[in-house]
Amino acid sequence: MALSGMRGLSVFISDVRNCQNKEQERLRVDKELGNIRTRFKNEKGLTPYEKKKYVWKMLYIHMLGYDVDFGHMEAVSLISAPKYPEKQVGYIVTSCLLNENHDFLRLAINTVRNDIVGRNETFQCLALTLVGNIGGREFAESLAPDVQKLLISSSCRPLVRKKAALCLLRLFRKNPDVMNVDSWSDRMAQLLDERDLGVVTSSMSLLVALVSNNHEEYWNCLPKCVKVLERLARNQDVPQEYTYYGIPSPWLQVKTMRALQYFPTIEDPDTRRSLFEVLQRILMGTDVVKNVNKNNASHAVLFEALALVMHLDAEKEMMSQCVALLGKFIAVREPNIRYLGLENMTRMLMVTDVQDIIKRHQAQIITSLKDPDISIRRRALDLLYGMCDVSNAKDIVEELLQYLSTAEFVMREELSLKIAILAEKFAPDLSWYVDVVLQLIDKAGDFVSDDIWFRVVQFVTNNEDLQPYAALKAREYLDKPAIHETMVKVSAYVLGEYSHLLARRPGCSPKEIFSIIHEKLPTVTTSTIPILLSTYAKILMHTQPPDLELQNQIWAIFRKYEGCIDVEIQQRAVEYLELSKKGAALMDILAEMPKFPERQSSLIKKAEETEADTADQSAIKWRAQQQNSNALIVTDQHPANGTPPISQLGPVKVPSRSNVDCDSADQREAQSNGTLTVVDPQPPSTSSPDLLGDLLSPLAIEGPQPAENQSDHNLGAGVKGDTIGEDALALAPIEEQMNTVQPIGSIAERFHALCLKDSGVLYEDPNIQIGTKAEWRAHHGRLILFLGNKNTSPLASVQAIILSPSHLRTELSLVPETIPPRAQVQCPLEVVNLRPSRDVAVLDFSYKFGTHLVNVKLRLPAVLNKFFQPITVSAEEFFPQWRSLSGPPLKLQEVVRGVRPMPLLEMANLFNSFQLIVCPGLDPNTNNLVASTTFYSESTRAMLCLVRIETDPADRTQLRMTVASGDPTLTFELKEFIKEQLVSIPTAPQAAAPPVPPQPQPTSPPPPSSDPGALLAGLL
Amino acid sequence: MDFGYPQNLSPEILKLYITQEGVRSSFSSKHVDRPVPNATLQVTGAVGWRREGLVYKKNEVFLDIVESVNLLMSSKGSVLRCDVTGKVLMKCFLSGMPDLKLGLNDKIGLEKESQLKSRPTKSGKTIELDDVTFHQCVNLTRFNSEKTVSFVPPDGEFELMKYRITEGVNLPFRVLPTIKELGRTRMEVNVKVKSVFGAKMFALGVVIKIPVPKQTAKTNFQVTSGKAKYNPAIDCLVWKIRKFPGQTESTLSAEVELISTITEKKSLTRPPIQMEFQVPMFTASGLRVRFLKVWEKSGYNTVEWVRYITKAGSYEIRC
Repeated sequence: MALSGMRGLSVFISDVRNCQNKEQERLRVDKELGNIRTRFKNEKGLTPYEKKKYVWKMLYIHMLGYDVDFGHMEAVSLISAPKYPEKQVGYIVTSCLLNENHDFLRLAINTVRNDIVGRNETFQCLALTLVGNIGGREFAESLAPDVQKLLISSSCRPLVRKKAALCLLRLFRKNPDVMNVDSWSDRMAQLLDERDLGVVTSSMSLLVALVSNNHEEYWNCLPKCVKVLERLARNQDVPQEYTYYGIPSPWLQVKTMRALQYFPTIEDPDTRRSLFEVLQRILMGTDVVKNVNKNNASHAVLFEALALVMHLDAEKEMMSQCVALLGKFIAVREPNIRYLGLENMTRMLMVTDVQDIIKRHQAQIITSLKDPDISIRRRALDLLYGMCDVSNAKDIVEELLQYLSTAEFVMREELSLKIAILAEKFAPDLSWYVDVVLQLIDKAGDFVSDDIWFRVVQFVTNNEDLQPYAALKAREYLDKPAIHETMVKVSAYVLGEYSHLLARRPGCSPKEIFSIIHEKLPTVTTSTIPILLSTYAKILMHTQPPDLELQNQIWAIFRKYEGCIDVEIQQRAVEYLELSKKGAALMDILAEMPKFPERQSSLIKKAEETEADTADQSAIKWRAQQQNSNALIVTDQHPANGTPPISQLGPVKVPSRSNVDCDSADQREAQSNGTLTVVDPQPPSTSSPDLLGDLLSPLAIEGPQPAENQSDHNLGAGVKGDTIGEDALALAPIEEQMNTVQPIGSIAERFHALCLKDSGVLYEDPNIQIGTKAEWRAHHGRLILFLGNKNTSPLASVQAIILSPSHLRTELSLVPETIPPRAQVQCPLEVVNLRPSRDVAVLDFSYKFGTHLVNVKLRLPAVLNKFFQPITVSAEEFFPQWRSLSGPPLKLQEVVRGVRPMPLLEMANLFNSFQLIVCPGLDPNTNNLVASTTFYSESTRAMLCLVRIETDPADRTQLRMTVASGDPTLTFELKEFIKEQLVSIPTAPQAAAPPVPPQPQPTSPPPPSSDPGALLAGLL
Repeated sequence: MDFGYPQNLSPEILKLYITQEGVRSSFSSKHVDRPVPNATLQVTGAVGWRREGLVYKKNEVFLDIVESVNLLMSSKGSVLRCDVTGKVLMKCFLSGMPDLKLGLNDKIGLEKESQLKSRPTKSGKTIELDDVTFHQCVNLTRFNSEKTVSFVPPDGEFELMKYRITEGVNLPFRVLPTIKELGRTRMEVNVKVKSVFGAKMFALGVVIKIPVPKQTAKTNFQVTSGKAKYNPAIDCLVWKIRKFPGQTESTLSAEVELISTITEKKSLTRPPIQMEFQVPMFTASGLRVRFLKVWEKSGYNTVEWVRYITKAGSYEIRC
């Protein structure tokens, strides 16, 4: 740097460096800034030398982190200076101090252009660097053509052309729309023919950017790329200065292969053959050597080559070669290399057919689990998880179990989850699965989530052969002196259900089992006590003939807990005590749990969720998805391969199995098993989704409507709105199959969950996750859509359109066209409820991933009950209101038949979950239910709604419902809404569908999805 | 407590007996003619802070009243916050065990006196002191009963009392700033400073700091007295006047040229003008020493010196 002769500058710098502390430095800098300001303001002007000196000082101060907000004019004016040192300062300071939006840059454009078109190549270089570094829109617009000309002109030195290529690359990245790239493919091809490797490297960078944007135009570059690779691989015509540790220009090799990966396939057989030759050469020629730099370079090339091989789906032979090579890598002691080896193996799993080859290295991978480096252990774990299948599951799971006791705490949860999943997926027999999970709980109880043991219980319940075995195992574990609470839960549950199957074995008499379980009672938390109580009740029930002593003991416990502060425990204690006094009736009530419906393992979902966090795990995820169905085969006799996880889809598609349940449902169910069965002895298998229930309801639409016009309007809107919704649901899965992008989890299920809560995931597939978060205030709502890109590449052409029904006014803020990799975009959506209606808004969402256009239509959870606000009314308020709203249209009454039978309490819970708050004690008849809420919409404002349900204790399938509010439409809509929630389909033979699966989750409402309007439309 | 005698172990006294000396060489085995202080007497004596048996040729007492003025004034000249914190510092060179009595023109003392002598207070201001704290030597029971400050002073220099005054403060200076912005790059600063203490007195070391924007490039000054310059490190115009007589005024007018910046002109934050000064023989509170009486058994004559000084604490004027 031309510092010589600038004494002031060097003195200043040494002053600053000599400062003892920050404060001194600040004072010195401020003093200097004051000095510079005075100098710049000097009327006499500055000599070029002085100007240069002060501008250098400014740059130095700027680099120290102080604000320099003046003197840009001087810097810019230096650009036009004739001498190199001054010009250099001008360019450097301008590109450091100014950003693309500064107005001063306009002043510079002309000078910069003069330099670019000028003949002095050092000036050209300076100018190109500036343009590349600033890369503003105006620069791009006005200078891109000149830069392009420089790039292809043959009269320039390679140095300039190199810079021109890089400059263009920067401009293109910044403003792809401004750059006119239409006709560049020929030029690019021409550039790749260049002899100078520097120019080729720069052009290759440019090509990568261009190709990643649009690969179709650049087909003609493909053979050229291969040729470049060939040239490098053969080391022909590579000058000494481009050879790095004996490897010919590794950067160019990597870039070329990267560019090749943007082309989907290579069709031309010759090119393909020669490319494979090159790859072969790379694969063969790479080895681990002593020199770190050489290793780094050659491995960079190698891994890029591996990625290319995977991309091209090469022959099996080549793949096996790759895996063999990676096998060599993971055997190396160097941790970096081992990490890379493991990671790439995990990636290789994505490609089919290599699993068997990878399996050969299993032992080596397992030793990697014991590596001192945690990142390597993680990779090894991922790899093991990914490569596991039926043949090696036993070994791998065994290894993992062993590893569990030594693993770090941070990894244990993930590890235990993975073990549970693998054991479930690939269990050769179920007793092994039970063994594994029990061991798992034993070894790492703290890290075993509830889902895992719920799942075990499900399996045991559903397989009779397994029950005695599981009970025996549980009994064995209980003998251990100290066991984890989760283990207590599982054992207690299993023994409660099935201990009678063991009764003949020694040490398994009811009394002994009771006493051994009861020993654990003081050690457990309140969440486990209810399970223990249920167990006691069951043991009591199974003791035939009744053992008085045992009975007294158990009763004593129940009595003790009758006054427990925990409601759950208290209720169970009271109920069990009363029930057990009834004697024989107990038998019926506490009968064995019915079988669970088959369902997708919630564990896998959970694993997917956790994996979504870690980068580059898509391979495993894909496989996990493919294997979902395998997992079910273990228990499910009819093969369900390829059935995407869809839920009820209306009449269009009838699923063979319904997968309607979610984690929370699982949990709730497993936890409430005891009570629910006691209170409601009837197995809840008669309930089912309301596929047909709604067929009956369209008639109701023709019910009395005071305002003819409005009702017509509503009806029309309803039909319209809902056909969209229904179509969307019906078509979505089909489209998705075409798209090969399948949603993770069921869309409908997520929607229903969101109807009850305000935030959650609306939609998820391998590329994107859409979450929502809503706030509801009166008739206004604010729904924020979180669009999260899960990939490492951006999602393009993102579009979101709200198809809102007439009663909602929606306003979606601008959705960005592209979502950057791994980023989340928030789009607030304002919703105003104009009128009461049950129609739902639909989000038409589409994006482009790679070449696939994915389009989904999602119902938005802006449903009627969101505009409720809970209100409790007292008897004094209720009755006058009730009376004042007399008769239709303000008060409607209907006898509803075919109601899903449920106890009153549960119905009350259901109402409460919709914010229809049940007011107990208002109705003298205990079989009746009275609820109230406030509904908000723009037309009705706040409106009190009152609901009364009269049930018949003799026949739970019918009830009389009376709904009253101050608005006829509201009354009608609300009545229909409640009806939808209550009605279920009769399992009549007319339903040609296969036996509808039981829906064992009484608290979750059937979806309000298939509207009568929609169905009507469907039928027409 | 040692053998039933209470002992005074305050560090000041113990220091007297902890003598650190180097290893005494056998050659210089001269008798140390330092009087070995009577340790027992000292630690068990009633007056812990004073040694007995002090003898001075000349008996002198110096009394300094040091006040610092804190002021915050708005640009229009109204006082937003103002108080004075003062200290009475003493330096005693007195023989024996003297008993001193100090009389100030404060309200409590004067009222008491007028009650005792049943005659009206002399015309003149009385000062109300807040938050008075005394040195430990002051006899508080006598202060409570007779409202007089009487004490046996320690030898040498000490701080007799501290006080604070919030009302009736005589400000020594008035500052009238006018700052005008002429366009984007020019400013005009006019500051007029008036001394309002007695004409015979004078202030020393007056420094006035006038803040200017960060992008100040050039300044031109015209001052009637003192010197002014721009200090970029603290972004202020610093105007120094070494000696400022009472009842006079002096002005500074400066033209400030700013450099244009790329950042949009922020609304300029204007910190207040700060001022430093010292005015001898002036008390902002108006406090005066009325008498200082010394009684000693031997009844020697003493010479008493009294001095007043007022300094600036944080003396700020918004502009």
